[in-house]
Amino acid sequence: MNRLEALFIFIGLTMIAIGAFFDIVSGIGVLKLPNFFTRIHAVTIGAVGGSVLPLIGVAVVSLAFKDLGIQRFYLAGVSIAGAIFILILAPTGSHSLARAAYMMCKAPRKPLVYDALESSRREAKCP
Amino acid sequence: MFIEILITLAIAINMGFSMGFEPIVYNVISIVIVVYLAVSILYIIRLVKGPTIPDRVLALDALSYDLAVFMALLALLLRRPVIASGLIVLTLWIYAIDIYISKYIEAREMGE
Repeated sequence: MNRLEALFIFIGLTMIAIGAFFDIVSGIGVLKLPNFFTRIHAVTIGAVGGSVLPLIGVAVVSLAFKDLGIQRFYLAGVSIAGAIFILILAPTGSHSLARAAYMMCKAPRKPLVYDALESSRREAKCP
Repeated sequence: MFIEILITLAIAINMGFSMGFEPIVYNVISIVIVVYLAVSILYIIRLVKGPTIPDRVLALDALSYDLAVFMALLALLLRRPVIASGLIVLTLWIYAIDIYISKYIEAREMGE
């Protein structure tokens, strides 16, 4: 039993540390990338790699962490539910936001080389 | 390099068996919380500076997902699991903000 707790705690801490690395990458990308449509890539890294993975890590740690008492199952359940919600809802929201910004010409597409979707828009060309 | 990491891990596991796992968990989570705070400052810079409205909403998304993880880590660090209660509600509100802003952009009622 003690050895199983050690395995759970080290797996969870490894997942939290990998999530912190993904979050650093996402922060640098959001700050330095040139365009709205390229910043969406960085935010997706931050949502799936930097939030879902540490939340599952917190759940795995808290399942084996006897210092919390009986309330550790509550923390594990809340973390798993939040991870599943972020995994479903973050790509959906980003996709709808990108579609709105593309169709209504609200974001500049400056470094874009070839735009295949432009011919299927019914409205006038973007400036 | 790899062997040194393995030796350090073995020493940590032996320490954990002899004196409990609490110091390891608390040290790692203290470092990771500082990382998350530093990255939140980068997101806030993009939120203030962003040239268009979708940029600001995207930075707000990333900031609030960071805040959700921060709440879970803080609940584990302070030994109060009630802190993590607002995590699910925060996620759902951020999705609502996404849908709201994109709907109003597509209806030409917001921006410019």
